[in-house]
Amino acid sequence: MSAPGSLDGFRIIDLTQGLCGPFCTMQLGDGGADVIKIEPPNGDYARRMGPPFVGDESAVFLSLNRNKKSVTLDLATDAGRDAVRKLAAKADVVVEDFGPDAASKIGLGYDQLKQINSKLIYCAISPFGEEGPLRDAPGSELVIQAMAEYTASLGRIGDPPVRVGADIASLNTGIFAAQAILAALFHRLRAGEGQRVAVSEFGSLLHMRGIMWSALSDPDDWFGFHLDHYTKPPDYGYQAKDGSFYFILRRGDSEGWDKLIMGLGMEEVLADPRFDDYGRAATSIGRYATEVKPIWEKAFANRSRGELIDLIKGMGGDAVPIMDYPALMAHPQVAALDIVTEVTHPTAGSLKMIRPVARFSDTPNSIRLPPPLLGQHTAELLDAVGILSR
Amino acid sequence: MAKILEGIRVFDLTIAAVGPWATKLLGALGADVIKVEAPGGDRLSHAVPPMIKGSSVLYISANHNKRMIELDLKKEADRAIALKIIEKSDIFVQNMRPGAAERLGLSYDIVTAVNPRMIYVAASAYGRTGPMAGEAGIDPTVQCFCGWCSVTGPDHGRGEMFRHLAHLDLTTATTITQAVLQALIARERTGKGQRIEIEMITAAMALQTTRLAEYFATGEQPAPLGSAASTTAPHQAFECEDREYIAIAVEHDGQWPGFCRALKLDELVADTRFATNRLRVANREELVRLLAERFKSKPAAWWTIRLSKEDVPNGPVLRFDELRDHPQVTANAHIVEIDTPHWGRMHVDGLPWQFDATPAGPIRAGGKPGEHTTEVLHELGILDDRPGASK
Repeated sequence: MSAPGSLDGFRIIDLTQGLCGPFCTMQLGDGGADVIKIEPPNGDYARRMGPPFVGDESAVFLSLNRNKKSVTLDLATDAGRDAVRKLAAKADVVVEDFGPDAASKIGLGYDQLKQINSKLIYCAISPFGEEGPLRDAPGSELVIQAMAEYTASLGRIGDPPVRVGADIASLNTGIFAAQAILAALFHRLRAGEGQRVAVSEFGSLLHMRGIMWSALSDPDDWFGFHLDHYTKPPDYGYQAKDGSFYFILRRGDSEGWDKLIMGLGMEEVLADPRFDDYGRAATSIGRYATEVKPIWEKAFANRSRGELIDLIKGMGGDAVPIMDYPALMAHPQVAALDIVTEVTHPTAGSLKMIRPVARFSDTPNSIRLPPPLLGQHTAELLDAVGILSR
Repeated sequence: MAKILEGIRVFDLTIAAVGPWATKLLGALGADVIKVEAPGGDRLSHAVPPMIKGSSVLYISANHNKRMIELDLKKEADRAIALKIIEKSDIFVQNMRPGAAERLGLSYDIVTAVNPRMIYVAASAYGRTGPMAGEAGIDPTVQCFCGWCSVTGPDHGRGEMFRHLAHLDLTTATTITQAVLQALIARERTGKGQRIEIEMITAAMALQTTRLAEYFATGEQPAPLGSAASTTAPHQAFECEDREYIAIAVEHDGQWPGFCRALKLDELVADTRFATNRLRVANREELVRLLAERFKSKPAAWWTIRLSKEDVPNGPVLRFDELRDHPQVTANAHIVEIDTPHWGRMHVDGLPWQFDATPAGPIRAGGKPGEHTTEVLHELGILDDRPGASK
């Protein structure tokens, strides 16, 4: 048995579905909390997000629900709502994503639950925030990305919009929701009071783009990657003979620079002011990076990216191959850090997943339970609060 | 009203965006964040354009709710001052390359010898072990390394980078903040501090959890799909008659009948090809062909009205000039305008959370390097006996 986690003994009642709420509560579960996932009789809709499926479960669902126990309850019935109240009475945290006011309408709002659990921490997740004209509007991963202008940093002007491939509206918000709950738990430990906390997907993505809003306020000049990326073409990194890679020069000295430039047969750039300061402005986020890219790529065309990466690293630059998932999974660095771990699921078998990110020396995060089958723990957990499940 | 992290002091030895954004969030929660910079600061933070009245917007943006002090940790007198601040701090955060803090004499062992209750965070790009241990990384290199670009791009086209080069920096930062809060809870319960390690590549992979799960399940690289989601359908942007794009989503089966009604394609509700999400994803091409034609027949505003009436997720593709005064943004303070001491009035990211009992914020701008050195040392009762120091 491993050392206790930082959240051991805390009980979370999770009323959320989809991606955002479940990612939040999975992280709390990784920290050691007991997470009780309340699902409707036909299950969290993420169980049906696919293909791909592994056995009967979607890969998406399996990736977001370890360290949880599943209880099925029909919140459209008095009995279902009453069971949630009984569970909430003995919990530390309730998390819901019903949208503003919706929980109160079914008797599961903060004001109602705090009557039976005065120190409860209640986290509400909404798509757009609890005020304003869109407070009741439904959201989605793409809708939030598009409205928070994430598509402005992708694709080409005039072409169809491109989204960030990862589910960031959901998952980044899940991190903020976990933070809010942790902060409220810390406050409760010190001051003895519970409270209601709230996060939104729209607000989270707008926060994550905060440097941009300041950049656009009143810049001294209109350049820099926060500004001109709007008009830049898609960035694929640098093309070498056998694949693409990416590099940045920011710690150069004259000896290394000369070696790099001579080695690449690029002597003509030594007189080009865009390459001054050992190429600092000529790569990556540098001012001239986009316009001088063809000069670099001409020199790279007959060289392998491995050779180029070594050459660039040799002069103190950072360089990496651009990798897809198979290449990433085969990379020894990923293995060295044990980033991928395996969990055995009762019907889906052995599942690979990404380990909890933070590594604590004293109270480690851990994976103790595989993602649950629908209703797997209904009897056990309802019996414990004195409800006969059948 | 009390702040959540009132009385918690952060010794902030962070650079660029990853570390600074993490401590900025701790500052917004009420911690006393003391950002320690070498004279001149780290070059990356101070040089990233655009500049606002001569200061890098990255530096301004990543350092709200902090006090800025300068110490040259390579000098013994300055290091002695640092150790006195460390003695009075609760959290130590650094995101230098592995080995750098040790070379400055601020290793975990030294810091905890001075302050055994310290929560010590070491964040890095690639961690402390493995063939890339100790290598530096920033947002774009981590994007490329982590497969992030391989799932983003035009429909079945070439994978591309996300040109707002900060998302993985800030994702790592928020993971640090979360870990610090976990460790504070642990310390409140056990009395003990601890060491926390976080790598950017792990944070970046965790953010791709759902997409990596597709790969683990199939063994196949998921292709970029333009604006479309891979595991729900329809969930993408469609071009309308006025050439505007509208983003729409049917994320679960409950939304499908309303979506069909909104499009006046009621016959699709009973169409067995599209009865469930699983079938709609499997028959995506046929479905999208049908829908694309339909959306093209009327302007975006028409579809917005009809989809909203049916409670189906939909939205436009917005830009900053449309967002900054958008009533949804202002009503929730998602973006706010603040007065700053050196850079005028400025739009900044709003707080990502709301607390009913213990409100976070207010957001205030940090300062220029070293601006608060005298104030902080005086307040902490630390004698600045360095040559030339103001008394």
